[in-house]
Amino acid sequence: MGKLLAGTVVLAAFGALAHAQTQQELLRDGNGGSTDNVLTYGMGYHQQRYSPLRQISKSTVKRLVPVWSASLANEFGEQGQPLVYNGVLYAANVKRVVAIDVATGTQLWTTALEWEPAVARVVCCGLSNRGVALYNGKVFVGSVDAHLRALDAKTGKEIWKVKIAEWKEGYSITSAPTVANGVLMTGMTGGEYGVRGFVDGYDPDTGKHLWRRHTTAGPGEKGNETWPAGDAYLRGGGSTWITGSYDPDLDLVYWGTSNGGPWTATARPGDNLWISSVIAFRPKTGEMVWHYQWTPAETYDFDGNNENVLADIMVGGVKRKVLMHADRNGFLYTLDRTNGKLIAANAYVKVNWAERIDLTTARPVETELAKRLRAGEKVEVRPRWTGGKNWMPMAFNPDTGRLYFAMLEEASVYQLNKELPVYKAGERYMGVENTTAPRTPGEPWGYFGALDPLTAKPKWKLPLLDLPSWSGMLATAGGLVFSGRPTGEFVAIDEDTGSIVWQFKTGSGINAQPITYTHKGRQYVTVLSGLGGGTSAKRETEGKVLPGGSVWTFALMPD
Amino acid sequence: MNRLKIVLAAPLLAFAQLASAQDAFKLEQVKSGSETYARHCAPCHGPRMANPEGASDLRKFPRDQRERFLASVSKGKNAMPPWGDVLKPDEIDALWAYVATGGKN
Repeated sequence: MGKLLAGTVVLAAFGALAHAQTQQELLRDGNGGSTDNVLTYGMGYHQQRYSPLRQISKSTVKRLVPVWSASLANEFGEQGQPLVYNGVLYAANVKRVVAIDVATGTQLWTTALEWEPAVARVVCCGLSNRGVALYNGKVFVGSVDAHLRALDAKTGKEIWKVKIAEWKEGYSITSAPTVANGVLMTGMTGGEYGVRGFVDGYDPDTGKHLWRRHTTAGPGEKGNETWPAGDAYLRGGGSTWITGSYDPDLDLVYWGTSNGGPWTATARPGDNLWISSVIAFRPKTGEMVWHYQWTPAETYDFDGNNENVLADIMVGGVKRKVLMHADRNGFLYTLDRTNGKLIAANAYVKVNWAERIDLTTARPVETELAKRLRAGEKVEVRPRWTGGKNWMPMAFNPDTGRLYFAMLEEASVYQLNKELPVYKAGERYMGVENTTAPRTPGEPWGYFGALDPLTAKPKWKLPLLDLPSWSGMLATAGGLVFSGRPTGEFVAIDEDTGSIVWQFKTGSGINAQPITYTHKGRQYVTVLSGLGGGTSAKRETEGKVLPGGSVWTFALMPD
Repeated sequence: MNRLKIVLAAPLLAFAQLASAQDAFKLEQVKSGSETYARHCAPCHGPRMANPEGASDLRKFPRDQRERFLASVSKGKNAMPPWGDVLKPDEIDALWAYVATGGKN
């Protein structure tokens, strides 16, 4: 009987293993797993966007050529990161999901994401979709009309579809979903429309709603005291429009939250937890474990959504589990990801709203200029509301210990309106007048850079004079960093010197997220091309670049 | 002599057209249009139509294409969403008054 029972247990475990194989693969993605696959947003739950592949290297990159390209028939812009599983590449934009054979570029299936044109009213900053999630034979995708779908990975046929919120109330989805510890999670957007931010957890098999983690503290929750009495927290913003990272050992998900609602903090006196923060919570329940607020009493449109990159690095001679984050507010942060305690924070672009982040209080020390702004004066704020860095993700190379990302150098002319905005569902809820300050001719509009996470000191900075970059980064063990330009050049940068060692002009602007993987022993690099998805790229490139989405895949030309 | 007449008449004619365009809009209509503009349009088309953030520069919108303006606002066009179910016809008319006068009435 004992033996029989043991046999049953083994069989059951085996069955569970076969079924949970994808979860095992998710855990190993970017973490010693097969380089044939890219299964997670960020190329690993840690979102390091680093690959140990070295076939394409500083010495071989001159033989890097396009092997196929495929149209995505989308004029709204490509910001997505494709995933790859068993030789199939899955890419998404605001209009569709496409499955493509990585060896040939042949389209296997495409599924349209239909939405009413009026939805564009509640997507503040560009109609976009940054990617899909994969789990147990399904492809998961959000859409700008605030629906979440599960598609059959083999056929693209819809298996289930749920409405996560009402787009007419300002809610939409532009981020990639993620699966951690068996739970499918999605963020949302709408910080300009007086929404109450949340992350939602779903059963990936059925689409059953499991939990909602709100990002503004309601009555009875710790943090509610940072909101004025009344119901301001219900319209307080804190949207969650960039996919969270995950530490399986600590079983914590790390998710950034956006600006407050309305933009002007005069409408909501207090720190307003947990807007412009990172929150750490349990994927099974959404239960909050810790939080850290980048910008208390946020009034600058400094969303705290930018990716939170996880790594174990040496801090003062001790290896620490850290979380690294380059905030819109211009500071590069390193936190202890076990408890949210601040380790370091340094400005990485020109900043004039805060003198520094005080390491004792873990809060910014605001400048006189910030005080004048809060008092209603029109001032020139650095960085501009779009941030020293926006959504385009950075890469971390664990061998060099450096972060690679695109920086933006711009200022805004910013004023809080005297009259507080009136809330109306699905309409702009701002209370601010913001324009772009003229740039000084000859000064860089941005940089590509390699920075030390603890000091923000650059190993190198490559000035971008004609146009800034809104492209994500990919670092590889081949000594290269891949990124893109709004004029369409896909570039390989020497990670040591910062010089561009290779480039190829794609069909439109690049403001997306490159990936690398192997297929039958050959290393491939894929990136989406297609200007747009954010407002600034269009403003900056006016008259210089046309939109139009496509996938580009590169490999080394055989000798 | 004939030539001189024409040269003299041209500025007068332009002045007359400008005056009639301005006469077509009431001050309160332009003011109401500017309020609707600030709430719904400024985030993409720029505060007071200056420094548009990704959307078209309305200061360059042809003043003789009222119908096209009304259709684009109510039904949408390209990345421009439709507003016909949010704004009433008189609000869209007021928006046109604001845009056509450059907000300077």
